[in-house]
Amino acid sequence: MSRTLHGVAAALAVMLASSTAAFAQDPSGKLVVVTSFPKDLTSAFQQAFQKAYPKVTLEVLNRNTNAGVKYLQETASNNGTDLFWASAPDAFEVLKGANLLQAYKPKVEGIPDKVGAYPINDPEGMYAGFAASGYGIMWNSRYMKANDLPAPKEWSDLAKPVYYDHVAISAPSRSGTTHLTIETILQGEGWEKGWRTNKEIAGNYRTITERSFGVPDGVNSGSFGVGIVIDFFALSSQASGFPVEFVYPTVTTIVPANIGIVKNAPNKVAAETFVDFILSPEGQEVLLQPAIRRLPVNPATYAKAPADYPNPFKDTSLGSQVNFDVEVSQARYNVVDALFDQLITFQLDGLKAATRAIHQADAALAKKPNDKGKALLAEARDLVAAMPVTAQEAADPQLAGAFTVERKSATDAVPERQAQVEQKWAAFAKDNYAAARKKAEEALALAR
Amino acid sequence: MNHQFSPTSLAAGMQSVGVRIDGVDLSYGSHRVLKDIHLDIKPGEFFAFLGPSGCGKTTLLRLIAGFNTAQRGAVTIGGRDISGLPAHKRDVGMVFQSYALWPHMTVRRNVAFGLEERRVPRAEIERRVDAALDLVGLKHLADRRPSQLSGGQQQRVALARTIVIKPKVLLLDEPLSNLDAKLRVQMRQELLSLQRKLGLTTIFVTHDQEEANTICDRIAVMEDGIVQQVGTPQELYDHPANLFVAGFLGTANVLEGQVRAVDGGTAFVMGGGVPIPLPHGVEPGAEGKLMFRPQNLFIRQDGGPPRAGHVRLMGVVRHREFLGASIRYAVDIGGQQVQVDAPHQAGDALLPTDTPITLDLAADKARFLRR
Amino acid sequence: MTSLALTRESIARVRPGPAVAAVLIALFLLLFLVVPVVQVIFVAFQDKTTGSFTLINFADFFRNDLFMRSFWNSFYVSAMSVVVASALALPLAYLTTRFEFRGAVLIQSLGIIPLIMPPFIGAVAMQLLFGRNGTVNLLLRDHFGISIPFMEGLNGVIFVQSIHYFPFILINLSASLKNIDRAMEESAQNLGCHGFRLFRRIVFPLAMPGYVAGASLVFIKVFDDLGTPLLLNVNDMLAPQAYLRISSIGIADPMGYVISVVLIVCSLLALWVSALAMKGKDYATVQRGGGGLARRRMKPLELVAAYAVVLLILVLVLAPHIGLTLLSFATIWSFSPFPDAFTMKHYGTVFLESGQYITNTLLYASLAALLDVVIGTAIAYLVLRTKLPGRQWLDYVAMAALAVPGVVLGIGYLRSFYDVPMPFTGQPLSGFWLILVFALAIRRLPYALRACTAALQQVSNSLEEAAENLGATKLRTISRVVVPLMSGGILAGFVTSFATAAVELSATIMLVHSQSDAPLAYGLYVYMQSAAGRGPGAALGVFAVVIVGLGTYLSHVIIERGRRERGQDH
Repeated sequence: MSRTLHGVAAALAVMLASSTAAFAQDPSGKLVVVTSFPKDLTSAFQQAFQKAYPKVTLEVLNRNTNAGVKYLQETASNNGTDLFWASAPDAFEVLKGANLLQAYKPKVEGIPDKVGAYPINDPEGMYAGFAASGYGIMWNSRYMKANDLPAPKEWSDLAKPVYYDHVAISAPSRSGTTHLTIETILQGEGWEKGWRTNKEIAGNYRTITERSFGVPDGVNSGSFGVGIVIDFFALSSQASGFPVEFVYPTVTTIVPANIGIVKNAPNKVAAETFVDFILSPEGQEVLLQPAIRRLPVNPATYAKAPADYPNPFKDTSLGSQVNFDVEVSQARYNVVDALFDQLITFQLDGLKAATRAIHQADAALAKKPNDKGKALLAEARDLVAAMPVTAQEAADPQLAGAFTVERKSATDAVPERQAQVEQKWAAFAKDNYAAARKKAEEALALAR
Repeated sequence: MNHQFSPTSLAAGMQSVGVRIDGVDLSYGSHRVLKDIHLDIKPGEFFAFLGPSGCGKTTLLRLIAGFNTAQRGAVTIGGRDISGLPAHKRDVGMVFQSYALWPHMTVRRNVAFGLEERRVPRAEIERRVDAALDLVGLKHLADRRPSQLSGGQQQRVALARTIVIKPKVLLLDEPLSNLDAKLRVQMRQELLSLQRKLGLTTIFVTHDQEEANTICDRIAVMEDGIVQQVGTPQELYDHPANLFVAGFLGTANVLEGQVRAVDGGTAFVMGGGVPIPLPHGVEPGAEGKLMFRPQNLFIRQDGGPPRAGHVRLMGVVRHREFLGASIRYAVDIGGQQVQVDAPHQAGDALLPTDTPITLDLAADKARFLRR
Repeated sequence: MTSLALTRESIARVRPGPAVAAVLIALFLLLFLVVPVVQVIFVAFQDKTTGSFTLINFADFFRNDLFMRSFWNSFYVSAMSVVVASALALPLAYLTTRFEFRGAVLIQSLGIIPLIMPPFIGAVAMQLLFGRNGTVNLLLRDHFGISIPFMEGLNGVIFVQSIHYFPFILINLSASLKNIDRAMEESAQNLGCHGFRLFRRIVFPLAMPGYVAGASLVFIKVFDDLGTPLLLNVNDMLAPQAYLRISSIGIADPMGYVISVVLIVCSLLALWVSALAMKGKDYATVQRGGGGLARRRMKPLELVAAYAVVLLILVLVLAPHIGLTLLSFATIWSFSPFPDAFTMKHYGTVFLESGQYITNTLLYASLAALLDVVIGTAIAYLVLRTKLPGRQWLDYVAMAALAVPGVVLGIGYLRSFYDVPMPFTGQPLSGFWLILVFALAIRRLPYALRACTAALQQVSNSLEEAAENLGATKLRTISRVVVPLMSGGILAGFVTSFATAAVELSATIMLVHSQSDAPLAYGLYVYMQSAAGRGPGAALGVFAVVIVGLGTYLSHVIIERGRRERGQDH
């Protein structure tokens, strides 16, 4: 009963708040935030914010990024959410594309246009960056010691035979942050070479997790040694006492984590206040807490940070190598995910078998060189690296249409259905990996 | 255990009523279970539905209780048609074959149930429950659970639970079938004395003719959904209306043959055998069989002529059963088998099988039963 | 005249009560099960471009290697889980029901605890104990230089699933074993049968209905289960494939829905096959005067062996909870057989932060379970005791909920109820916390329904007729005789529904609309998204297990007491 009353009271408060908004800008009522951020981060902000604005009740709804987007899409017809708060800019692009956000220009001064090479705010003002994050490599030092593994520095290190069966990543289709990592490598090294790197690393995967947190979780437990993660996962694990280390590779990008006001937000005033609050020096300082450890977008805040805190505004090497192109990323978003799933996630056994054979042949050939063997090995490597689509094809709206099509009219023809396309790619990968393994085994035989 | 029911205030205020069943038909799908049943049970009567399993007797009882619905016909209790009444408004008390005591209630709560449903004041409930338990001699076990009682005790609780509500009619569904032989004999006497004391119209369903014969005023013999005959036990035994009734009550010898005209009347003639005179009213050529009881036959070892009214038959002993007071011989007479009871005295020798034997039939006791 | 009057009266005697109840239940099922599910699965039959009806998506399904592989993997994992779960459940059920065994009630209760495996942490705990670098393998490697791949790939799923779901077999099999008439076994002994042959030829066949019921439940749950494979990162199974498809952003692919349909069809098929297998085998075994299975005394050596087996199984099936408890007290547990050190601070954190989750869970789970037993009792009564046309369908539809994956139901609810505003507040109906209760109730209804049906089947018809005969109306009969006699079964249904609803995640996660309304499973999810949240998450999980476990134990005691008060068996 009291629950219902509470609900009614809250609703009344919201109604009052919106009707009086024109006269007084004093935020109050219930503010509903859908977020993918962990409790550590949200509750810290919640406490700070409610201290500053005691009249606002902050309701935090935890969803992973994908589920959050899905949730907003499913509930758009009768929206009850004020803010969407998550890492991956791509997710915001999807929402923006679906016309589910509304523009707001934060009132806070002193925030630069870019962090690294990445623009902090959406040019149309649909969402704003509030903290920067970079992607990197995290490892469990006990695990590394027990298995005699060297500390990795670059993405390419992870492709080395020594890491075979020790690396983990989350599927880009499941994790917005991983998608960015993959996309960063693709943009940094180019489509063909980028995929080659991705697949060579993938050959060493121990597992591909279904949640982005599954990777730091596994590294923390020691289930696997090395994980490809976003920085704060590693930094906060470290802060929690886990025996883990983290490094930013050269080819990475510093990308802002964002917040956006949802279209038709029930409590727009409070939503805007919250956005301004987290960008304010007060809000930015929350990011420095050990359990959060994110990079503030307000350069002034770094003055209060611990000595070895990474500062992308000072350390120019950090994240400036790649000029991340959001448009390119957006155009092939689903295609990249599907390619990764079909070529890597669901063919991991085949890929690992081929990789193992290549590693063995490589080692044998190093001891006992053989030209024919080398040629075979190179062929095997090319087979593994081969892609069923080119960069141009991947960006082709025709192909993307197989994944995204929302019927606009009955004549909207789609060339192929997603399941068909995927089956084609999967068969391509399966055959190539089997052929690569065979060639590598032949090469090994020659080196004996 | 040798308890006799004592009448109490329970009997007070009970008025015996009659039960009428008028042309009742009941089918399950295409299977007709009851076929045009007419019965008139008098007030205060102890009445039995007797028949083999599947004859429809329990169905008929449950129809009276309101657990079955007839497609046609009416049931009247004390002049009031109750066909449309739901079971809980009928005021007919039923004792179930399994007793159906509720395992989650004590004996006292079981017995009080019906009164509680009738919104009887608390104090009166206690008084009447005590009286009912006293009546069946179980007052000292009132706080036990049914599972802690013996079969006979459970039966008494079921009875107490039923009569405590002062039903207009008492229905007993094979109430003795779950008791051992000795207890059964005892309980049926107790039932009878209770019924007499309460003057309660009672209908008793059983497949055991001895049970029905010993305690019931009248019996309806049922078979195949049809009431074959209604009468006192003696009427049914002595004058069965048909072969089924004859066979179901006691042992019957049944002979095949033809009805022929003989000098001075008609006679029943077995294949090439002796004519057995038939009473008036049976015309020559009538289709039917001749029935008589084993005690209507007499073994004649002395070689003398048959007594007046007796017909002589010749046969061979096939089997024998020693019953104590008598010996039952199965005798082959001209290809048909009959049973003969011979009284037994200590020291008498039994006839060996395959002994040729002379039998005399008291012809006036034999009954011609039409098909 | 008479016949005419009587016909009219017999029509009047079809009393409106049952019909009204049936219509209400049918409406509830339609609104909260059928409509939401249809909302989701119709996409599977829709042509993506034209929106017209098509089966091409199913053709795609069968032409796709990945889906076929997933299909066979799901099938294999489910079948193997039944085998392993049976191996775990058989000795426990047999020893505790068949022999004089101290602590039988405790063992039975402990045996049910694995059903209460809180999401996420269960898998984390299992990894820490049995994973490649878990306690067992680290110790084995240090001392013997070997490791056992408990948790590798499909093995891990089978291992975790059989531990998680084996109680279904334990519960059903124990109930069946308890109901076997002593005379059945004694007559077999009398004819010279003993020992294992007695079990194989008489006891087990008689307990078969219970076993099949439990085993088919395990099969279906494993086939449909999403959480475990996802957390173990096994994705080439059907349920994870459906989930991945449905929950990917921006993708309008029908395959997820196609897989949902396949899942539902397979589950229905499994239910049907088990019903077929049990047809005519529903032995009503407790005869008059017969007690349950005679409990034999064991020889001392046998007793020691039996305790060893029981203990081993208990340790195995309680491993996730042992791991969970360790985790909740651990400071850091990383790549080592045991945690570095122990602390109480996680419990402090949970006390401060999560009271709301616990009260919400208690509220939702008990409301859902209450709804379940009310509806379950009503359906059981309608099916077994009335002649309403179509009453069997209530049973079928309610049981079909078993075949609906939680995610499908969750999405269906969002689709069905989001556009419906609530009276007065105007908030979407799907955001109303009661909707979550309905979702939980629908998900758990099959368990409660089966428990209630079984309980009602054991109440002899004449017990009801006796009450009516003594003047009780149908409603009074139900409330004074039927329900009290069913109380054991109803309580069992309540506990199963409550216990499993308390840790349900898949439907919950889609339907929680505000933190203050969120149940425990959601709280766990939130905790387990951060490194610092692992300890408090485990502590919260321990709370969940303790609360639900205590409830289960208490109701076991109540059931046993009731059984004893009523005499051994009725």
